[in-house]
Amino acid sequence: MRIIVPIRQILDPRGFTVSRRHERIFVNREEYIINPNDKNALEVALRIKDTGGAEVIAVAVGKPRVDDALREAMALGADAAYLLTDEALAQTDAAGAAKALAKAIEKIGDFDLIITGQETLDTGDAQLGPWLAEYFGIAQVTNVREATVSDGALRAKRDWGTGYAEVEAAPPVLLTVAPGANKPRYPHGGRIMAAYREWEVTTWGAEALGLDAADLEPLTEGRGRTFPPERTLGERLTGSPQDVAADLVQQLRLQHVIK
Amino acid sequence: MDLDYLQMLMGEEEVVVEEEGEGYRNIWVVAERVGDELAPVTLEMLNQAQQLASTLGAYVMAVLVGGDETLAQELIYHGADKVFLFDDPALKDYALEPYIKALGDLFAEKMPEIVLCGATDVGGELAPRLARRLDAVALTNCTGLTLDASQRTLVCTMPVYDGEYSEVVAFSPEVHPQIVTVQPGVFGLPYRDEYRSAEVETVAVDLDGAQPRVKVLNVVAEAEREPVPLPKARIIVSAGRGMGDAEGFALVEQLAAALSGEVAGSRGAVDEGWIDEEKQVGMGGATVRPDLYIACGISGAIQHYFGIQDAKFVVAINRDENAPIFKVADVGIVADAKEVIPAIIEALEA
Ligand SMILES: Cc1cc2nc3c(=O)[nH]c(=O)nc-3n(C[C@H](O)[C@H](O)[C@H](O)COP(=O)(O)OP(=O)(O)OC[C@H]3O[C@@H](n4cnc5c(N)ncnc54)[C@H](O)[C@@H]3O)c2cc1C
Ligand SMILES: Nc1ncnc2c1ncn2[C@@H]1O[C@H](COP(=O)(O)O)[C@@H](O)[C@H]1O
Repeated sequence: MRIIVPIRQILDPRGFTVSRRHERIFVNREEYIINPNDKNALEVALRIKDTGGAEVIAVAVGKPRVDDALREAMALGADAAYLLTDEALAQTDAAGAAKALAKAIEKIGDFDLIITGQETLDTGDAQLGPWLAEYFGIAQVTNVREATVSDGALRAKRDWGTGYAEVEAAPPVLLTVAPGANKPRYPHGGRIMAAYREWEVTTWGAEALGLDAADLEPLTEGRGRTFPPERTLGERLTGSPQDVAADLVQQLRLQHVIK
Repeated sequence: MDLDYLQMLMGEEEVVVEEEGEGYRNIWVVAERVGDELAPVTLEMLNQAQQLASTLGAYVMAVLVGGDETLAQELIYHGADKVFLFDDPALKDYALEPYIKALGDLFAEKMPEIVLCGATDVGGELAPRLARRLDAVALTNCTGLTLDASQRTLVCTMPVYDGEYSEVVAFSPEVHPQIVTVQPGVFGLPYRDEYRSAEVETVAVDLDGAQPRVKVLNVVAEAEREPVPLPKARIIVSAGRGMGDAEGFALVEQLAAALSGEVAGSRGAVDEGWIDEEKQVGMGGATVRPDLYIACGISGAIQHYFGIQDAKFVVAINRDENAPIFKVADVGIVADAKEVIPAIIEALEA
């Protein structure tokens, strides 16, 4: 069983504050972490490895610094890691990153499962998983909480609507794991040393993946940022319990806090 | 009186969509059903699509997979200029592969300029796959949509870092179709006009090779669902010592259920034994960042506030008008929580 886990590195939100008043982001500490949801994805893969055995391979697209995230993934239990980076790949957008991952997964070959996070915190995109499933023309299960493999069949428990469902599919399957689906493990002491000192991260550039500049041309362009309105605290509601309740519910609906 | 005459009196004529034309055209809304009804986000998208369409000089086309004529008419009443209806019984229940085949084939033929899907479980699965199938790209979970009229491109507002701020992103002009998913509850509902009339075209799809690949073994409804961990919860109703007794605490649970939210508590509530320690919010407990936090009978000690400072909207109910919790609440209610909470539950159900 070979499981591919795409991992994204993001700017640690604990290192910056967002000022609504100044409509600016103040970065106090520029540190990078694995997208928290991707740790949930890796955890699902590692649990399958723990129970039935599997080769878990982490892959990431980005700048050279993403090497760190991949070593952390290996310390956590991944068996191998691939970093897709060069000047073009470091600059590309979600569509370009998706193409690079697809080519790399093709090149690694023979996979049974691809397990991604549902979404990344820094873009909230939530599209790379299904995009890859379409690329490979394989089954997908989104919003996964737990997954197991037995007798060659994948079984997963997934959030669906206001409840959840249990589903089954034959590999190859792509899973996207729900944020907070599990409690990711801590890296294993012995593996930390090895991951940073001994093990290799294989690096591939665009050319090795058979991609040219046109393939990686961004399909979207940033037009800036917007910030939520500043908070106005302290409004008091008065009247009978019924009046107050009606007032409150109306406010919550108007502000889209509830539906 | 014949119907045409009646329509003339009503000042409404049937919308007739001109199908001829070159290149990528019109704004398409992928309708979504919940049970026997249209999902609210579908109607909201029709509203938004009509506004975009008037700027672009385009029509609003709706596509309904697996619905019926009645729902198709509802789409027209809410703003669709034409509806494409896949009425194959095999498409009644959602399954990814057949739905993608139906939509993919239709869009490959019709060449939409813009496609709107709901940012829902279903829309979130369909949009990225459609994007790949049609060699385009999707922008997802949008809370704002405007047009760059000079380039005919959509400019989308997408919240990032859990809504701390939003990135504004435009499609490059060469991307077709421009596919977006739209967050529910952001755009208003359109006016329902029963006198609107337009064409419903029934379409068929060849489902050969598009059988569902995922087998659903069983579906568990909401009641049995496992609780969402507090740091991820969107709505939290939290009890403090001020709820008085287990009966008072039960009111907090009822309010949480009415809002489909999670129950939590202050240290006061944990000390009273009404709730487990793992549900404690604050310095010694969970740090939460919900869209809505309702503090019931909580004084608002600094150690408690520590855990809720990233909450987007805080409501405080406390009998003491000088309770510190009011300093950090967006809305404060000075009252007996035991009287107000039942009234809120009633107002929610109204
Ligand atoms: C190191 C440390 C860590 C701590 N960590 C935490 C933590 O993680 N979380 C936490 O919550 N606390 C924590 N505390 C405790 C904190 O300081 C407070 O003691 C605690 O939050 C008080 O809980 P409370 O607001 O429920 O109770 P109280 O302070 O007793 O407040 C009850 C409130 O209810 C109101 N009230 C009474 N009856 C009614 C009624 N009928 N209707 C409406 N309102 C009513 C009262 O006016 C009062 O304001 C910590 C303390 C320390 C020292
Ligand atoms: N640059 C990247 N490199 C590797 N994996 C990624 C990258 N971006 C996104 N992913 C994966 O795709 C998932 C969904 O990301 P997104 O579609 O960007 O929200 C993430 O949780 C990751 O598993």
